[in-house]
Amino acid sequence: MSNKITGVLSIIIFVIISSILITSCRKDDAIDTGNEILELQVPTGFPYPDIPEDNQPTKNRIALGKKLFFDPILSRDSTISCASCHHEDKKMTDGLPVSQGIDGRHVLRNAMTVLNTAYQPNMFWDGGSPTLEQQVVAPIESHEEMDFNVLKVVERLKNHPEYPELFLKAYNLEPSPYTLTRAIANFERTLFTGKSKYDEYQYDKNMNALSESEKRGMDLFFGERAECFHCHGGFNFTDFSFKNNGLYLVYADSGRARITTLHSDVGKFKVPSLRNVALTAPYMHDGSMATLEEVVEHYSSGGKPHFNKSFLIQPLNLTQQEKTDLINFMKALTDL
Amino acid sequence: MKKNIIIITFILFTSAVVFTGCKKDKDNGPAERSISFHLHTVVGNTVANYTSVFTDATGRSFTLSDCRYYISNIVFIKDDGTELPMTGKVLLANPATMKYEIGKVPVGKYKGFRFLFGLDSVTNHADPATYPSTSPLSYQNPNIHWGWNTGYIFMKLEGKVDSTAAANGTPDFDFYYHLGLDQMKRTIDFSTTAFEVTSTEDMELGIVFDLKKVLNGVNIPQENFTHTMDNMPLANKIVNNIPAAFEIE
Repeated sequence: MSNKITGVLSIIIFVIISSILITSCRKDDAIDTGNEILELQVPTGFPYPDIPEDNQPTKNRIALGKKLFFDPILSRDSTISCASCHHEDKKMTDGLPVSQGIDGRHVLRNAMTVLNTAYQPNMFWDGGSPTLEQQVVAPIESHEEMDFNVLKVVERLKNHPEYPELFLKAYNLEPSPYTLTRAIANFERTLFTGKSKYDEYQYDKNMNALSESEKRGMDLFFGERAECFHCHGGFNFTDFSFKNNGLYLVYADSGRARITTLHSDVGKFKVPSLRNVALTAPYMHDGSMATLEEVVEHYSSGGKPHFNKSFLIQPLNLTQQEKTDLINFMKALTDL
Repeated sequence: MKKNIIIITFILFTSAVVFTGCKKDKDNGPAERSISFHLHTVVGNTVANYTSVFTDATGRSFTLSDCRYYISNIVFIKDDGTELPMTGKVLLANPATMKYEIGKVPVGKYKGFRFLFGLDSVTNHADPATYPSTSPLSYQNPNIHWGWNTGYIFMKLEGKVDSTAAANGTPDFDFYYHLGLDQMKRTIDFSTTAFEVTSTEDMELGIVFDLKKVLNGVNIPQENFTHTMDNMPLANKIVNNIPAAFEIE
């Protein structure tokens, strides 16, 4: 009888000890979640973006990409980082007509935002780069931006006191063009914008979120009067297409034609998102318009008769009140 | 009954050994040999390098500081017309390297071969970061890939040229020719250059690429740069010289 009790007791003790052991093991595992694939928190009303199979987001990858994004180690003289032209306070633009790179050199075009870039089917004003990953090398090797070579960046990263370990943690690989481009793209894909007064009105159904003027502007924007939505429609206020908006009769920058070599693409540029547009002046691919007033004036006039001008750009002859309403609506696209 | 099984097993076993043996005999035969390009990048009669002073067709002197070009889609054509594509083989040629291993081909007679100057559009737009660092398609230093349109530079030719009107000075003025874009690839056709791969030795095909011919009709000081898109006429002019610049040695 006492033997039996001893037997039962030892079984109970065994079970308790092993469950403690198992639990503690589990706890250990749970502490390091750095490589768990994360689900990105996308704004309400947004689809989940397509993410390459080999570059799913994890805490370690995002942290590494973020560190690289803000690190001037990427440039020849270690003065320029991605963040030099993508300022957080300007919604990841830089406030300049065209960006300034290494040695004060001027970049060809206005800095585009990095927000909601996870949805871009291609990169740059001319769509020259097909993926966020491949895009990373362009500013590094551009003469006007960082003026460096991706292999030299990798060499620096390999000799850095912290980076090799961070790359190993994030990708189980050493620094290389592959891991470098993956990491920065991984971070960039986590940058969203989509919580403005307009979103409160549209998605949260808060009918008081927009003022009367903003609502009138919205009707102009989405209606057949101003027809802005044909190009600037959808959750990101762009259809991601390339359009010639009649900015010039002769374009110094051929735009999309630089990639396709097609005459029919001369002067076409990526339709930019209008989210936070009030904070991302100046406007157009060359930053040639300083204010939203100038921009609205341009579209109201119908632009210049370039042979590739989109048929959607026609004189609107907006009244002063309509222009004010339209601008007020665009200002309501600023994140709260 | 047991005996039968043993006999059958024995027969199966023996025939398996015999069959395997036959196959091995065939494999052991000198059925394939390595084939390489022996590629000389020259300026006229001189092998190109980054130290000498050369002269173009008009007698104007120039030097080279970078000369690299892609060769791909190599196809060997057997005597019976069968084509043997060397799938995935890409060369990044430069003057200092002469021997380029292509792969193994069956022993026998060949009608000729052809290859591409540049890259096919699929290869041209793939991500260089996905290749191992030993691959000619991985990122290079100095670079030979355009980040802004994600395509390779099919040929990078840079150096200095004598800028004096009388062409009697020394090379002092930069020229740089970066040729790329899908439409700049050219088929280099040696389909009637017959050769034979024997079982006794590896094959080397001697090819010459003459930069003097590449620059034929180019007034280097006047036409000193093209990144292809920013000077399409010059890029076309140079690329159209390229097929004739390749010759069998």
